[in-house]
Amino acid sequence: MIKLQNIQKVYRTDTIETLALNGINLDVAKGEFLSIMGPSGCGKSTLLNIMGLLDEPSKGNISIAEQPTGKFNDKQLAKFRNQKLGFIFQSYHLIGDLQVIDNVELPLLYRDTTAKERRRLATEALEKVGLSNRIKHFPKQLSGGQRQRVAIARAIVGNPEIILADEPTGNLDSAMGNEIMEILLQLNRVDGTTIVMVTHDENMAQKTHRLVRLFDGSQVQ
Amino acid sequence: MFKHLFKMIWNKKKQNSLLIVEILLSFLVIFAVFTFGLNSYNNYAKPMGIDYQNVWAISYNNTLKTNNGDSLKLFYDNMVDNIKAMPKVIDAAHTSANIPFSTSHMSTGLTHNGDHIQDVNSFMVDENYPKTLNVKLLDGRWYNKTDVGSKQKVIVINNKLKERMFGKASAIGKLYNDDDGKKGVKIIGVLDDIKFNGDYQSLEYAIYNRIDTSSYRWLGKILVKVSPDANAAFESQLYKFMANNLKDSNIEIEHLTNKLTAYNKFTLVPLIILSIVAAFLIINVALGIFGVLWYNINKRRGEIGLRRAVGAPGSSVSAQLVSEAMILATLSLIVGAFFAVQFPLLNVFDLPASVYLLAMLLAVIFIYLLVLVCSLYPGKQASAILPAVALHEE
Ligand SMILES: Nc1ncnc2c1ncn2[C@@H]1O[C@H](COP(=O)(O)OP(=O)(O)OP(=O)(O)O)[C@@H](O)[C@H]1O
Ligand SMILES: [Mg+2]
Repeated sequence: MIKLQNIQKVYRTDTIETLALNGINLDVAKGEFLSIMGPSGCGKSTLLNIMGLLDEPSKGNISIAEQPTGKFNDKQLAKFRNQKLGFIFQSYHLIGDLQVIDNVELPLLYRDTTAKERRRLATEALEKVGLSNRIKHFPKQLSGGQRQRVAIARAIVGNPEIILADEPTGNLDSAMGNEIMEILLQLNRVDGTTIVMVTHDENMAQKTHRLVRLFDGSQVQ
Repeated sequence: MFKHLFKMIWNKKKQNSLLIVEILLSFLVIFAVFTFGLNSYNNYAKPMGIDYQNVWAISYNNTLKTNNGDSLKLFYDNMVDNIKAMPKVIDAAHTSANIPFSTSHMSTGLTHNGDHIQDVNSFMVDENYPKTLNVKLLDGRWYNKTDVGSKQKVIVINNKLKERMFGKASAIGKLYNDDDGKKGVKIIGVLDDIKFNGDYQSLEYAIYNRIDTSSYRWLGKILVKVSPDANAAFESQLYKFMANNLKDSNIEIEHLTNKLTAYNKFTLVPLIILSIVAAFLIINVALGIFGVLWYNINKRRGEIGLRRAVGAPGSSVSAQLVSEAMILATLSLIVGAFFAVQFPLLNVFDLPASVYLLAMLLAVIFIYLLVLVCSLYPGKQASAILPAVALHEE
């Protein structure tokens, strides 16, 4: 499903050059639930961003769903992200000026859908994460766990084949974290969604199919 | 998408209200400038009403000792006849000091059908006045010998006054009462409008009185229409003639073309000052709008990164920001138009409604262009924001 070949990422600022990723080769199979672990600053988020086409590698090739993505232009990249990928971030990234339901609808806004259809799909997604009773709330009126569930609803509303989650439980207590994990596992099991998840939590990682460890930009396991 | 943008704007109404007020104020200022400018242009586009080329104005002061009106009349009529008889002189007319483009004004008021009309310019002129200035008589007749000694006070009015008093109907033979207590002044003629305040000022009401014998004591202007080849030598000849006829009088000869230039300068000064002030205001407003949009976009980098992540192309992000600015402009303009439309409705400055409406339209277009230009660059910057970087910063 996701194929990374010899990925290298260098961040250049005026004074320093950081080698964030070095020679990563990774194959994620369709329907696989993969977790990535490693110490802070080892390049986990960078790797996930590159997989999600949010960032370009300095070197190497990526293909997703059998399509090489290197030659995509901005519009094609946007469309690809919109239809194939769902993102969940550690800090949720909800839009504070929009109600829960509108936040969830956001990816559909960049598709050819009617307002009615958007509403139906968003309501469905919110039901899946157990938040149907909070659709008119604003993000600041929700707890951290609830916010992350909104973010999950937003990631799944477009029915993507791949979900990329960057420490989705990092800001939550273990009970909340387990709940979120259950939702992801369910998505993987029932809908067959391919999931790549960055985590610091060994217990969470244990529940996934495969674990990749990074150290200083290189894959160590 | 439109509904989505509207929701965003509505949910941020507190932050947006500042920008809305700013755009509203600039709209009102620009509306005022355009109204003023358009009105000046409209006035400029209207015909002058007279041929002022080759018309000279002789100023003098009466130095004759006699107080006898009849002998004064005889003297001055004779003098004007002698001027008319000079070579290169086409016509000459005796008038009061308020000749075209002079800063001297005389005004009065009158009552007609219970309608009291103020600020009516009052001129004292003789029979030669229309021919000397080549001003058209639109209706009725000009003064002639039959008016001498007539008991009935007769008057010629200008077209603007006629339209105020009678609209489309004829004014000839109609009566009014003047503010000096004279009842039943009879209108015998309607003279075309003259822009006696220069190119840029509005037309005003006017009545033209026939000079009576008692006025010669204080009259002091003679308008002379000369042929195009009248030169400086002829001007000094005319000067000498006046000086010889009126001992100890201050004689001065001016050209109406020069007087017009001077008067226009005088009336253009406020327009120029207003334009400069407006230009500064517009620059200020443009910078303000630009600044607010710029600030907004930087504050919303996270949101922009997120939209890009969930599938918005760069072009869509910049289109969104520009559209938001345009929606805000529209909200301001709706409020602004409500204020602006009060001016023609309440007829605040006695300007034609068409001037206000056109000024409004131009101001609306101007504001849209201004907001568009000010939002294009920040919008373009926003489209260049890399999603990974923007999300990383949050
Ligand atoms: N935009 C950037 N510019 C420069 N350097 C960057 C940028 N983003 C990340 N880095 C550097 O790249 C390296 C990897 O960062 P990354 O965010 O991928 O780490 P991480 O493994 O996700 O860490 P954490 O567990 O703390 O989230 C770090 O050394 C970081 O300083
Ligand atoms: Mg990270």
